[in-house]
Amino acid sequence: MTQTGINRREFARLAAMGAFGASMSRWLPALANDTAGNPARTKSCILLWMPGGPSHIDTFDPKPDHANGGQFKPIATSVPGIQIGEHFPKLAQQMEHVVPIRSMTSKEGDHSRATYVIRTGYKAEGPVAYPTIGSVLSKALATPDAELPNYVSIGPYRFLNPAAYAPGFLGPKFAPLVVGTPNSANTENYSDDSLRVRNLSYPQGVNVAQADARLNLLDGLEADFAASRPGVVVDSHQTAYRQAVRMMRSEAVQAFDLSDEKAALRDAYGRNQFGQGCLLARRLVERGVPFVEVSLNGVNGSNSFAWDTHVENFAAVKALCEVLDPAWATLIADLKHRGLLDSTLIVWMGEFGRTPRINGSAGRDHFPNAWSAVLSGGGIRGGQVVGKTSPDGESVEDRPVVIGDLMSTISKALGVDPMQQNISNVGRPIRIADPEAKPLDEVLL
Amino acid sequence: MSSQCLYAQLLFLATVFAGYSTIGSTLVLGEDGTAKSEKATERRKDDQQADEVARVAAEIDRLIAQHWTENDIQPTEPAGDAEYLRRVYLHISGCIPPVSVTREFLMDESPNKRRLVVEHLLDEAGYIVNSTRYWRRAMLPETESDLQTRFVVPGFETWLREHMTTNTPYDQLVREIINTPLDNDNRNEYFARLQSSSPLAFYQAKQVAPENLAAATSRIFLGVQIECAQCHDHPFDAWKRDEFWSFAAFFAGIVRERQGDFVSLVRELPDRREIGVPDTDRVVQAMYLDGAEPRWRFRVGPRETLANWITSADNPYFARAAANRIWSQLFGIGIVEPIDDFSDANPPSHPELLDMLAREFVAHEFDLKFMIRAITATKTYQLSSRQTHSSQVDPRTFARMSLQGLTPEQLYDCLAQAAGSYQPFQPQAVFFAAQTPQGEFVETFAEEGASKIERETTILQSLLLMNGQQVSLAVSPESPRSTLGAIVDSPFLDTKGKIETLYLAALCRMPTESELRKAIQYVEPTEVTLNKDATKALSDIFWALLNSTEFLVNH
Repeated sequence: MTQTGINRREFARLAAMGAFGASMSRWLPALANDTAGNPARTKSCILLWMPGGPSHIDTFDPKPDHANGGQFKPIATSVPGIQIGEHFPKLAQQMEHVVPIRSMTSKEGDHSRATYVIRTGYKAEGPVAYPTIGSVLSKALATPDAELPNYVSIGPYRFLNPAAYAPGFLGPKFAPLVVGTPNSANTENYSDDSLRVRNLSYPQGVNVAQADARLNLLDGLEADFAASRPGVVVDSHQTAYRQAVRMMRSEAVQAFDLSDEKAALRDAYGRNQFGQGCLLARRLVERGVPFVEVSLNGVNGSNSFAWDTHVENFAAVKALCEVLDPAWATLIADLKHRGLLDSTLIVWMGEFGRTPRINGSAGRDHFPNAWSAVLSGGGIRGGQVVGKTSPDGESVEDRPVVIGDLMSTISKALGVDPMQQNISNVGRPIRIADPEAKPLDEVLL
Repeated sequence: MSSQCLYAQLLFLATVFAGYSTIGSTLVLGEDGTAKSEKATERRKDDQQADEVARVAAEIDRLIAQHWTENDIQPTEPAGDAEYLRRVYLHISGCIPPVSVTREFLMDESPNKRRLVVEHLLDEAGYIVNSTRYWRRAMLPETESDLQTRFVVPGFETWLREHMTTNTPYDQLVREIINTPLDNDNRNEYFARLQSSSPLAFYQAKQVAPENLAAATSRIFLGVQIECAQCHDHPFDAWKRDEFWSFAAFFAGIVRERQGDFVSLVRELPDRREIGVPDTDRVVQAMYLDGAEPRWRFRVGPRETLANWITSADNPYFARAAANRIWSQLFGIGIVEPIDDFSDANPPSHPELLDMLAREFVAHEFDLKFMIRAITATKTYQLSSRQTHSSQVDPRTFARMSLQGLTPEQLYDCLAQAAGSYQPFQPQAVFFAAQTPQGEFVETFAEEGASKIERETTILQSLLLMNGQQVSLAVSPESPRSTLGAIVDSPFLDTKGKIETLYLAALCRMPTESELRKAIQYVEPTEVTLNKDATKALSDIFWALLNSTEFLVNH
């Protein structure tokens, strides 16, 4: 991981600006002691998020011997005995790094509520504003003087439940930097601009000295207002500015410029927002960003919630997999090639699965009772399957896994203690994974 | 007859005549006799209305204060004139006042100047634009994120704007939406209607599907969320699946033709009032949310029947949901919050107040402007946002005004107003919006449903404000018609005057003593500091003002 430390001159200037109100010791690596026990390289997590509830039978839990299996046939993979859906030919070649978990089970069949539960690990009840997984884990994995935000979200579709994508009680400091658009993988209209962070350079005619002076003025101006109007509105404003300035002055922000990547590699990822988003995720992870999520909301010609296949399920899933498979497989290969795979966990999931029984519109409806999530990459023993559903896919037969268990497993795979606590907005400490959670030990190294 | 009696009669008549002349000079005839009497009637109406506003405002304050006393809450200090002016301008007009207006208001000594500002704003174009946008967002929330539905927005907004202009009573507005004719002969006719001034977009944005329409109607107009019961019995509240579909049955006559996801033609079968519950054999009849059966009338279709039930003065949800919504427009949060989730698990913070507001709303014929007048006239609304005591922390006590985020369009307009280049916000061509600077601005500040009083600035927003085009143009004195340019060039303003004008332009207030001192120090070169460019210095100050939280929010 490249850590461009702040040199003494920068430090002095930034400190003098007073723009960074927090404790000075944050800037001195020697005093950094609160990141969860980390060895030489901190791990990273890439979440491939599939909003809408991806059909599990058509992807990772095929049922060829049952009518519920539908139109697709399973294919063999590089691991004997494991078969997955036919639309993952490339990922099938990487199966030794992949762990499908076929026995996920949850209770929420409503998009909004299910998204919240799966993305925070907790039900939305009462006053506690639970943070999304990206905020919680990026906080635990954060390095003290990182120039890039610790949590980057590419093309999230937040409309149905913005709280499920928010830092909750952890506060705006742990909110993701969002790039890309939710109306995503439109192959005809993809442009690199959508993944860039806009407005990173000073406006014309403004040099560093003037910019510093301006920030200093701003700081003085805010003081009285902040004192008399305490709360998240002012806090988040000041935090955002601090983080923005830090980003502007970093070299690491080059990560968002994909133009120095080889064309062949970019083609392999797929020239769409999801594919290039996965490439960007690799670049961010390379530069030490601990948590990146990439959403696959739709493909060329579809709407923005394409996995929600109540109608014409098979055509839709096929089209989505044609984007998902090459991007995911290339991501694994690319990380491996750069020696990053062992320290990068890639998680694939949505908020629930889809009904085994096909409905009258050749579609599948919401199904939280039994569904699949997939872990791949580092920190896990790849090439195995966890859990089993019944032959008709209607229920979990073996090794039921609830979201807390999965959170716990993800946490441990990243070297983070899932029982670590954060203080919530009501003063109660909340653990990363709920206390009843049991990690999947067979998956962990 | 005795002379006393006659005298009494004459006295009586005299009083009557005198009374007439004091009341309305109706008997004063002259060339402009009619005009005078009209003016007089209007004045009488104005006075009556002012009295009504004052009465309701006092009642609101009484109930709020009662809650404070019961809970040991100390309200904050009243808002100063500058704070108040900026606040009503933003709430009613969606934009900050120009410098001249602020200066005038601050110097004005008339006792009812605050009420007059509200009257003035309610009569202006700003109110129409601002309220149209608000109600469009409320009724067509899908259009915020689903690009495919955005094309219906212009027609809907045209229709809405007409109603905001005439201040159509709210119940009439809602009835018009629910009763919109849905029968079309062909696709072209349907499409043309979608583009024209009509509320048809309400249907199109919900795919004209009975279940979506039922859920939206209930949520938006009644504040009751029943959508979970669409697929299964609601886990928290009492709604059962059959009850949901009974409500959806009011829309059962709708027949749609689809091309993929897009509804291309809509027809309506008259008088169909039952619907099959999906994936079951059950068929349910149209029933109101409270389980009551409609009294069907000859030739009155199901949607019209529904509309009458919803907007009836007796409907327990309608007026309360609307009054609550208007309250939340002005305070940032409702008495029931979230405003579209009235349920046992989510009780009102001030039940008596909500009931009173609902009653008054009905009594004043669902007049939206009246409610705005009444609420802005309260002491509660006119409290500062400054926190002076820890008991003011909970926003639901209304012991201080909460900071409230602005919509992207409002923020854009505020910047333009401060910069001197103000033109009313022009909505861009739907699909190419993101490519323009204005479109980019709006997208960056899109709210994504977050709570208004807990708006959080993101990194991208701060980058846009720090380095983006809008602010850069605003703080550049060379920009055409720029405030800053005018200030810099003005021979009538000394440094103090220039700084004050910058503060008035950006923050709509005068700088405090210490702010002024620091700013003057920054601008004027001294023996100690090097010879600075005063223009650059003023530009820096303006930049800081426009990047402050104080500029960004309504407070």
